[in-house]
Amino acid sequence: MKLLLWHMEQPPHRVQRYQELIDQFNAANPDIVVTQEVQNWAEIYTKAPAAVAAGNHPDLLFTIPDFTPVIKELGVVQPVDDIVAELDQKYKFYPSVIGPYTYEGHIWTIPNWNVVHSLWYRKSAFEKAGIKPPTSWDEWLKAVEVLTQANQYGIGLPANRHLYTDQTTYDLMINNGAEEFFDANGNLRFNNTQTVEAFEFYQQLYKYSPPDSPNWTWGEAEACLNSGTCAMILQFAVITTYDKEVGDPNDLGVSSIPHSSNVNKSGTIAYPCGIMILTSDPAKKEAAYRFIRFLYEPGNYGRFVTSEPGLFLPVTEMGAKDNSFWSDPLITKYREQVEGMLKNSENGMLFGFTGGRVFPEVAKISAQNLIAQTLQKMLLEKMSAKEAVEWGQKAMEEAIR
Amino acid sequence: MNLITSLTKIKTRITSVRRVYRNTESILGILLVMPLLIWLLGTILYPLLSAIRLSFLDVGIIGTGGRFVGLENYKYALLSPEFWSSLGRSILWVLGNGVIQTVIAFIAALILRQPFRGRSFARIWIILSWIVPTVVVVIIWRWMLGTSGGIINYLLVTLNIVPSPVGFFGSPGTAFISVVLINSWRWFPLMTVILLAGMLVIPEELYEAAKVDGASSWQRFKNITIPALQPITFVLGLVGTLWSINVFDVIWLLTGGGPGSATTTLPVLIYHTAFKGYRLSRASAISVIFGLILLGFIWMYLRFLGRSQEEKE
Repeated sequence: MKLLLWHMEQPPHRVQRYQELIDQFNAANPDIVVTQEVQNWAEIYTKAPAAVAAGNHPDLLFTIPDFTPVIKELGVVQPVDDIVAELDQKYKFYPSVIGPYTYEGHIWTIPNWNVVHSLWYRKSAFEKAGIKPPTSWDEWLKAVEVLTQANQYGIGLPANRHLYTDQTTYDLMINNGAEEFFDANGNLRFNNTQTVEAFEFYQQLYKYSPPDSPNWTWGEAEACLNSGTCAMILQFAVITTYDKEVGDPNDLGVSSIPHSSNVNKSGTIAYPCGIMILTSDPAKKEAAYRFIRFLYEPGNYGRFVTSEPGLFLPVTEMGAKDNSFWSDPLITKYREQVEGMLKNSENGMLFGFTGGRVFPEVAKISAQNLIAQTLQKMLLEKMSAKEAVEWGQKAMEEAIR
Repeated sequence: MNLITSLTKIKTRITSVRRVYRNTESILGILLVMPLLIWLLGTILYPLLSAIRLSFLDVGIIGTGGRFVGLENYKYALLSPEFWSSLGRSILWVLGNGVIQTVIAFIAALILRQPFRGRSFARIWIILSWIVPTVVVVIIWRWMLGTSGGIINYLLVTLNIVPSPVGFFGSPGTAFISVVLINSWRWFPLMTVILLAGMLVIPEELYEAAKVDGASSWQRFKNITIPALQPITFVLGLVGTLWSINVFDVIWLLTGGGPGSATTTLPVLIYHTAFKGYRLSRASAISVIFGLILLGFIWMYLRFLGRSQEEKE
């Protein structure tokens, strides 16, 4: 029995770690041969539907909440309620990671890890300026003003038509109480006062960001923080590159994203990533389940999650205690930062998947980066925040129509 | 009588054999061309017909079904401001690239035509930027133009040319110019090599005679080099325009069509509509319109410039 796994985790160390786990599984299960094929996130939205149309799609496919509906629409995603229930009984999934994949009466993805945004900063920059990491929006704005000096920008914020900009903008929306994209009746409610305020605040922070940030993706932001050009950034994790380029854990700070006075606690964007099963062949599906069970076994799960140490976080209570997770050398070195990220993940959310309701059509909004496009209307085309958000509402309505 | 009859028979026989031979030759020719024809039908004609068919449906995601909507997608495209602004940018893109590449390529070809030490090495080396993969070109330039440690910004600030680092891809105006310059840097070597090849076959006697008659360097260039290169520049103008207007990779990798839509040319708009907006049929309609515009351009180019070319010859 052959199983083909597609994933979009391109860095060689991640591929190598999966290969180690696959080899171990294949050796212990001679009747099954799992192979991995590496794709990339930029192309998978095109490639996977094309593969489904051509009938040569993989048996297992990595996913994020707003990618699952795209593939599900093609009719090949298999419900996985049974295996999720089985794993939940053994390892206890955090409820927030199952919710985004539960709709139309089934669970469509097995969550494997979580990635969340945090406010990453250089401790030395704050110490030099004599200030503490901000917790409120007022403190945040003052901090970026003070930290913007010769050869240093107070903050690095993107304005690209890119997923990264969607994410940083949504961070601010969450922290001003504008996290709900849809009301209880499923009507789009992007255009509201809290969203407009969040956009206005983004504009204020953005004045202290490097001039090429309209073209940034995640890598440029990390480079800016690591080089010391940016005092802080919003990012999933910077540990791997920071360790290579700087290496001093004492100068890397992580905190929750500051919130406005409209909400009483900080929140952040979170992506519970997972695996979809696309094969409808019962024998292959059972083989896929065996492979999934193997990945979740204590000892294996920590190695699976630390394929990118300091970025991927466990999605089960047992996984968060797994020694194979905490014993990773990089996690050990940056334990304080990883614990900070885990704390931030407690209040993680994702647009279209909040408040216990799921609106899969949000995939069409995120695929076009319409939040980022709305932001660009304000920052680059000089619309007011109100006008830009009105434009965004119309563009989103058109996208999901 | 018998002899004449026999000769006539022989002649008829020879004619018949020749005809069979000619037919066989034709069939063999067709058979030899057939694999290529089948390949072209499969890789060009089928996708083309498929795109035309899609443009009359309302397919969103690749692989899903769609219903017939007639000319709805064409109507949407032609009434969309995005389409016209992208078309405008595509024209600017072609003109910008055309002018910059032609000027640089002519200068480079003229220099490489002169005898100097290391000329052979320089002729090979100049191709470098063209043979380097696009993604490498993009990474190099993004890194060099970056504000965090980019060498160009470092030099500009250190030499007090600008007070603070410039975000080359950060504002609509500079982003478009930057992408045009980077693309020109990538493509001018090909044009240089073609022009140089053309220059090398111009008889040296023409230049010597002109020199004897007292023609200056500019006059020799204007009255000998440029007219002699006209057949080449004619082809380059046509092919270069088609190549240039279809460029997608450099723009997409450098700016993704942004900031805003500052670098969104028609190929970028088509990709974005199909694979980001999940409007495959709408993108197909834009592609068909784009194809028709290009066909119109080719027709005009061959008709007007081709005619003036013939008149000069």
